[in-house]
Amino acid sequence: MPGLSPMILILLLLSIFLLGVLTLRQASRTRDLQRELDRLHETLRRTREYAEQQKAKLAQRSDLDTLKDEFISTVSHELRTPLTSIRGALGLLTSGMLGDVDPKAQNLLRIAASNTERLIRLINDILDLERMESGRAPLKLRRSSILDLAREAVDTMTMMADSASIQIELACSAPRDSIYFDADPDRILQVLTNLLSNAIKFSPAGSTVWVQIHSDMNSLLVKVVDQGRGIPADKLETIFDRFQQVESADASRKGGTGLGLAICRSIVQQHGGAIWAQPNQGGPGTTLWVQLSRSARVSDSGAPEMAVQGPGERGEGLVLVCDDDPGIRVVVAEQLRLHGYEIMEARSGEEAISLAREQMARAAGLTRDAAGSKPIAAILLDLYMPGLSGWDTIEQLRESPVTASIPVVILSVIPPTERSGDAQGWVQKPFNENLLLAELGRVLRRRSGAGRVLLVEQDEELAQGILAGLREAGIETNHAATLQQAVDRCMLGPPDMMVLDLALPDGDGFSLVDWMRRQPTLRGLGLVIYSGRDLSEAEMHRLRLGPTEFLNKGKVQPKKVEELVLAMVHRQRNEAMVT
Amino acid sequence: MRILIIDDEDDIREVAALSLEATAGWEIITANCGLDGIRAAADGKPNAILMDVMMPGMDGPTTFRQMQLNPEIANIPVLLLTAKVQGVDQRRFAGLGVAGVLFKPFDPLTLASQISATLGWKD
Repeated sequence: MPGLSPMILILLLLSIFLLGVLTLRQASRTRDLQRELDRLHETLRRTREYAEQQKAKLAQRSDLDTLKDEFISTVSHELRTPLTSIRGALGLLTSGMLGDVDPKAQNLLRIAASNTERLIRLINDILDLERMESGRAPLKLRRSSILDLAREAVDTMTMMADSASIQIELACSAPRDSIYFDADPDRILQVLTNLLSNAIKFSPAGSTVWVQIHSDMNSLLVKVVDQGRGIPADKLETIFDRFQQVESADASRKGGTGLGLAICRSIVQQHGGAIWAQPNQGGPGTTLWVQLSRSARVSDSGAPEMAVQGPGERGEGLVLVCDDDPGIRVVVAEQLRLHGYEIMEARSGEEAISLAREQMARAAGLTRDAAGSKPIAAILLDLYMPGLSGWDTIEQLRESPVTASIPVVILSVIPPTERSGDAQGWVQKPFNENLLLAELGRVLRRRSGAGRVLLVEQDEELAQGILAGLREAGIETNHAATLQQAVDRCMLGPPDMMVLDLALPDGDGFSLVDWMRRQPTLRGLGLVIYSGRDLSEAEMHRLRLGPTEFLNKGKVQPKKVEELVLAMVHRQRNEAMVT
Repeated sequence: MRILIIDDEDDIREVAALSLEATAGWEIITANCGLDGIRAAADGKPNAILMDVMMPGMDGPTTFRQMQLNPEIANIPVLLLTAKVQGVDQRRFAGLGVAGVLFKPFDPLTLASQISATLGWKD
C-alpha cells in the first residue's frame, strides 16, 4: 500500500495487537462466565431434582395416608359392631334392670363395663386423631369467645370435679373486647375439657384447679393450673406424644386413652397455636399453656382444604435460614412461608452474618434505603458448614450489637449438646414440620415478651409476696435467693426482666450485674434494683444495663415493685410489637 | 309404642330390643335384612324403625329408599343406627331424608330416650 505512512502502519499494527489481547481476555472472561453459568445450572438442576424427589415422596406419602385412613376407618367400624353388643349386654346387666346380681359378679360386670367404655373411647380417639392429621376434619371457624368456651368447659367438668372433691376456678384478665378469636368452637372446647379432665384426674382431693385467661395484642393464652403430682422434666414434651403417659399404670388407673394430649396438640396446632406444659414454680403441680392466635391464621398441616395464607398477607416475622445444603433451605423456606413467615436465605455463616447486619441496620433505619424493612425475628442455623461453623457464626453474631439479640435456633443432625445454651432453640434433623414450627414459635414467643421476670431476693417471705402479685398479673416468674441461683437461672434461659436485691448471701448485686454485662443475651436486660439503702450516682451508673429503675426497700411497699415491673414489662411488650 | 329393629347382627338386635323393652316398655319387632324389614314394616305398622346401615344385600339407605316408594309405610320415621362416625357419612345419611342418625355402640340405658328425643316424642 504505497499511500500508507509508516505512522499509520504502526498504529494499525498496535490496534491489531491490542484487539488480540482484548479478544483473548474477553475469551477467558467468557470462559469464566460460562463456568459460573454451568455451575449455577448444575445447582439449579440439583435443587429441582431434590424438589421433584420431595414432591414424589409427598405424593407417595399421601397415597399411603389414604390407605391408612381407609384401613383405620374400616377397622374402627368392625370393632364398633361387636362392642355394641358387649356394651349393650353389660350395660343392661349392671343396671340391675333385669334382676339382682350377686355382688361378686356385679363387681366383675362393673370391671368389664368400664373397660368396654375405655375401649370405645380409645377407638374414638384414634379415629379422631387420624382424621385430624389426615386433614379430613377441616376446622369450622367462627368468631368465638374464649371466655364462653372456658365457662362451658368448666360447667361440663364440674360434676367430675365435684365427685373428686376438687374445686375449679375460672379467672379472666383479658379485657372484654379481646376475648374473641377465630376458632372451631367445638374443637377448642374439646381441648379445654380434656385439659381440665387431666388436671382433675391428677389432683389430690380438696385441691383447686385454676383456668386463667390472658390476652395480648395478637394472642390469647389459656392456662390450666393444677396442684397435682406434677410432670417430671423429661416427660414435659413427650406427654403430648401418643400413648405417652407419665406412669404406664395411669392408663388403666385413670381410664385415659393416652391420646388426649396428642389430640389437644393436634387441634391447637391446626388453629396455628401452641400448647406446652410447665411445672409450677415454688409448688407442686403443673401448668398447661395454650396459646391461640386471635385472628385466624390456621395451620395448613392436616387441613389441606383450608386456604393457605397468601403471599400478600402479613406473616409472623422475618426468618433467616442459614444452611449450606440448598435442598434443606428450599424445604425449610417453603414450610415456613406456608405458615406466614418471611424468609431470607444464607448459604454460609459468613453470608448469614453480613445479611443479618445489613437487614438489622435497615430495620433500625440506620441506612436510608428500604424504608419499612423488618428486623430478623430469628435465625435458623446449621452447625456444620464449610467455612464458618454454626458455633463461630453465633459467636460473631453476638459480638455485634445489632445482631446480638437475634434468637438463634440450631438446625442440626446432632442432638442438643452442652453448648446448647449459646442458642435459644434446637431442632434435630431430620425434623418434621411441626417440630420446627413449634420450636421456632416457642423461641419467638419468648422473645416477643411473654414477660418472664427473675426475682433475685434472699428474703423468702418478701419474695413470695412479690411473686404472687406478679403471677396474678399473668407474668411468668422465677425466683433466685442467691447469686449462684441467679446465674444458674440466667444460663437456663435469659429472663425478660430482673428484680434485683443488692444484698445477697453469697455476694452482692454489683457482681451479678457485672457478670450480666459480659453476657450477650443479658447485657440489655431491664432491671429493677431493689435495695435497702439509697445509692450514689456512681453506684447507680455501675448497675445500669437496659432500662433500669431504682427502688429503696425502706421507702416503698412491695406493691410498688409489682406496679413498676408490670409497667416495664408492658413497655417492653409494646416495643417488641413495634420493632 | 311399637318399634321395628332391622339389623343383620343377631346380638345387636337382641340387646337393642331388650334395652328398649326394659327401659321404655316398648313393643319390639325385628328383621334381619332390608327385604324382611320392608315386609315387617308393612305387616307390623311400627311407630318407628331403627335400622342398621351396613347390611348384606340391601343396605340401610337402599332399604329406606324402597320404603319411601311404598305409600303404606313411607310415613313411618326411620332412624339409622350406624357404626360409621365419619363426618362425610353423617352428611350423606342426613341427605337421605331419614328422621335421624344414632351411633353404635349405643348406651343401652339411654337408647330409648335418644329415640324419643330425636323423634320429638314426649316420655
